[in-house]
Amino acid sequence: MDMKTVLSYEWGAMMPEFIILGTAILLSLFDLFAPKRFNRRPLAWFALIGIVLAFVSLISLLPLAETSILADTFRLDSFAKASKLLLLIGAGLVIVLAASHSANDGLGGYQGEFYYLFLTALLGAMMMTSSGDLITLVVGLELLSISSYILAGMKKKNLKSNEAALKYVVMGGISTAITLFGMSYLYGLTGSTNLGEMSETMARVSDSQVLYLLGLAFFMVLVGLSFKLATAPFHMWAPDVYEGAPTPVTAFLSVISKIAGFVILLRLLLSLFLAASGDTFGTVAFLEQNRVFIAVLAGATMIIGNVLALRQQNVKRLLAYSGIAHAGYLLVAVATLGGGYFLLDTVWFYFLAYLFMNIGAFAVFQWLADANSSEQRFIFVGLAKRSPAAAVAMTIFLLSLAGIPGTAGFIGKFHIFLGALLGSTPTDYILASILLATTILSYVYYFSLLVQIFFRPAATKEAVRFPVSLMIVLLVCVVGTMIFGLAPNIALDFLHQHFGDFTDFISMG
Amino acid sequence: MVDNAWLIPLFPLASFFLLLLFGKRFGSRSAEVGSLFTFVSFICAAVVFTKSLHESSYKQTFNWLTVGDAQITVGFELNPLNVLMLVLVSFISFLVHMYSKGYMNGEKRISIFYAYLGLFTFAMLALVMSPNLLQLYIFWELVGLGSFLLIGFYFHKQEAKRAAKKAFIMTRIGDMGLLIGMILLFWQTRSFEYSVIFQAVEAGDISQSLLTFIAIMIFVGAVGKSGQFPLHTWLPDAMEGPTPVSALIHAATMVAAGVYLVAATYPLFQASEVALLVVAVTGGLTALFAASIAVVQTDVKRVLAYSTMSQLGFMFLALGTAGYVAAVFHLVTHAFFKALLFLAAGSVIHAVHTQNIEKMGGLWKKLRWTGPLFLIGTLAISGVPLLSGFFSKEEILLSVWDNGNYFLFTLALLTSLLTAFYMFRLFFSIFGGEEKTPIHAVKESPMIMWLPMIILAVFSIGIGYVQTPWFGTFLGDWLTNENSHHEFSLWLMLIATIVSGIGIGIAYILHRKSSLLTEGESSAYRVVANKYYIDELYERTMIVSTKAVSRSLVYIERYVIDGFLLVVIRITRMFAKKATKLQSGQVQQYGAIAFLSLAVLVVVYLVAGGYLR
Repeated sequence: MDMKTVLSYEWGAMMPEFIILGTAILLSLFDLFAPKRFNRRPLAWFALIGIVLAFVSLISLLPLAETSILADTFRLDSFAKASKLLLLIGAGLVIVLAASHSANDGLGGYQGEFYYLFLTALLGAMMMTSSGDLITLVVGLELLSISSYILAGMKKKNLKSNEAALKYVVMGGISTAITLFGMSYLYGLTGSTNLGEMSETMARVSDSQVLYLLGLAFFMVLVGLSFKLATAPFHMWAPDVYEGAPTPVTAFLSVISKIAGFVILLRLLLSLFLAASGDTFGTVAFLEQNRVFIAVLAGATMIIGNVLALRQQNVKRLLAYSGIAHAGYLLVAVATLGGGYFLLDTVWFYFLAYLFMNIGAFAVFQWLADANSSEQRFIFVGLAKRSPAAAVAMTIFLLSLAGIPGTAGFIGKFHIFLGALLGSTPTDYILASILLATTILSYVYYFSLLVQIFFRPAATKEAVRFPVSLMIVLLVCVVGTMIFGLAPNIALDFLHQHFGDFTDFISMG
Repeated sequence: MVDNAWLIPLFPLASFFLLLLFGKRFGSRSAEVGSLFTFVSFICAAVVFTKSLHESSYKQTFNWLTVGDAQITVGFELNPLNVLMLVLVSFISFLVHMYSKGYMNGEKRISIFYAYLGLFTFAMLALVMSPNLLQLYIFWELVGLGSFLLIGFYFHKQEAKRAAKKAFIMTRIGDMGLLIGMILLFWQTRSFEYSVIFQAVEAGDISQSLLTFIAIMIFVGAVGKSGQFPLHTWLPDAMEGPTPVSALIHAATMVAAGVYLVAATYPLFQASEVALLVVAVTGGLTALFAASIAVVQTDVKRVLAYSTMSQLGFMFLALGTAGYVAAVFHLVTHAFFKALLFLAAGSVIHAVHTQNIEKMGGLWKKLRWTGPLFLIGTLAISGVPLLSGFFSKEEILLSVWDNGNYFLFTLALLTSLLTAFYMFRLFFSIFGGEEKTPIHAVKESPMIMWLPMIILAVFSIGIGYVQTPWFGTFLGDWLTNENSHHEFSLWLMLIATIVSGIGIGIAYILHRKSSLLTEGESSAYRVVANKYYIDELYERTMIVSTKAVSRSLVYIERYVIDGFLLVVIRITRMFAKKATKLQSGQVQQYGAIAFLSLAVLVVVYLVAGGYLR
């Protein structure tokens, strides 16, 4: 690769990544050289500016046709753009959460590190969404993972935080090992790391022995990535890590890390295994043939996530299990391929809803937990009296998480349900019924929090004051949850207008 | 302005939220707040009205939800019928808001009252702007909610609570019909949109028998809302609500929503003769049936309630005999004179603190404003020439006559006669004759109450001239968008006048003999006085059998369903306990489970795929 080729690339396509990278570097330099007594909290706003700039540059890139640079390793296609929109909105909200933490959250003097590690994790996630090659994909994945390990252990003096970080490293190591093992098979079978080329080779496979190996590779990759999605039975790290990590990190892991995991899973499934043949005659697609395995994982995840959430007294763990349950709902969409038509719209919309309602719930929780120095359910007691605005906001988030009509969460779940019904095989119907049954189950724990908020008498009538920055997060999340619940077509029309039917993504290579 | 017409319903909604949240702070000034918002709403509606006189209809929608290939839209539509309803509803609502300031003076929960009024007005305005059935249905239910809340406003009174519940349940039965019709239409046409549905009907995409069924189902919804036989029993009981509410909801606007619904979906009915006949017969029978009950009632508000039922029956009769314009015309005139009558009755009740006409009398001299205003309303509804009711009623008679169904025509004439009779019976009992109450206590209502009545009275007299055989048929031309030729039939006018005259005459003669209110002893009298025992019939059949069914269901619930639930809960608990044990906090165990799961997946894959043999 000579200088000429390097210069001929359309580097503008990577502008959002460059901005995040630049902000992270500036922050780390500043943190290194600034005197110790300097308050590092304003750095969060600097990071937020970086995220907003990246968002603006991404918006300006929206009309750009599909672009790939660096020998097809970095692709800016419609799916990448759509996912990055979600990632940046989520990251912007979470960084405000992080900026609004109260003094006694145990982050100590490491706020500076927190902010730039947050940005590198985001950068990793964004690289993953754009990768057109296994190499960039793994690099992005590892950048995200390793940054997250450190973030989870950010509270250095806190035993739980340390435990969380260590567990996360061990489980993350297992996950990476399995994923890479599966990818090495894929490379061995196709002789390439480029997704486009791999897909062409895989579409031509008809030898049953090769198919056998392809199956092994599929399961390795699926299981490896399942750790990132926190789907059962590979979810077990999640509650422990969520509990130990600082709350903004938990919010990050449960939203942004999860979105990145699904994005990567979809990219691999749709670009490699959708086209690959499922039997020796080449009549059935591989994914079509084996989606029942994903369906089993989806069913198990919904059941385990929701059932275990019932028993949690610790709200953070409860939200962790709720996050697992939502990953299960999303896997239903993947397993049924969204009824064959709207998989990507469905997943994208669900994440849009999930992002607002989940980050909003974490925002309320974070402040109450810090104020009470506790993470148990009772911190919500009497919130309706102590801060009516926050109580209403939390109610909206919980109703949306539970999937009550009028909220974005309902529309998201409705689309997944519809997709499952359109699938019209027994598996799809079973999944749809599990989705319904476990949703009803989830009412129990979501509404039990509402009971705490509204019906339990408070020990103190003292008003809870939320900082302005948190209030803004709450407002954004409430507006998002309500608007996309009442007029979902605003988001869907936007999606179709800018990304069409993701045709450039489906037929990549 | 026209493209921003969606703002019109939002003002009362804003008033609702404002009063709900800060009602305590506003206190008695809630009346001004509510009135102001409704007034703005009315002004906007009036502007839209003047604009749309010369423009064709306007519609704006956007996609709300896409389900498969079906698109569900929301938006608003301004066709002549909708705009007419908009102006009518916002205008009368504003007058009632004003009037209530006097009537509800001293009420502690006045902010709540005005909040409810705002909610109702919002829902009703939004209802008449809906471009599709789904949106209409949503606001249809909201209107019902507003009515429920306002009937039960005095919830400390047992009767009010019962009446609110009854109104809600009875109208819900009708709503089920509407819902069924709506779903069938969606099933057939994949759309809730009026225009799409009408196109499908015109193209004959729906089979004739199904179409008839759908139309009748939609009519069932209208029957419930408009208090038509056999779902009428809630309307007289609804008079437990405050009188301004009766004027607004249970006379002028909400009960007319049924007529509006049939008018808005009229092409469906036109396509099915059977459905039209059902509408006409139901309307005609209800008109006579309700009028006959009104003759013997002694509660002033109940007389008016039965009269409302009867007049709504008239409108359905017109709709059923292809008298679209006549029905809408009568809807408009009726809204004015019935609102006037209710407000005047409210003014009387306000003065003498009773609703029983046997305890009234001789109030003409005491109530200087209310008396003549009540008389104007009475003359209008009785169909005395040159007042609005005369023209609209004549129009209806004409459409029934043209239809050639002489049975229905006779019904209509009889009803006309009874209407004139019971209205003058009411008038003479209240204002004529001897004074029965301690007169010194009686005081005329304040200006804030008689001013709205005067406005209504002016309209009750004059509104008829928008559609007359002499000056032109402006309303009809505008509604149907064509120059309708209106045949002038002098004999019909004469007959209508004579019939009304006879009714008034009988009332006057009986009044002179002071036997207007004497109770009859005959069994026929008792049947009528007990409202044909319809309530009792429902009590003995429907309610008893429903209760029996529900009692047996209680056992099923207690043993079968609860037992099943218990099993589910036990299993869930057990599962959760077991699974929690796995979550031990030991990371090596997590890893082991993960590897085990991977192994299981792969083995299953290998076995199922036939690779292990």
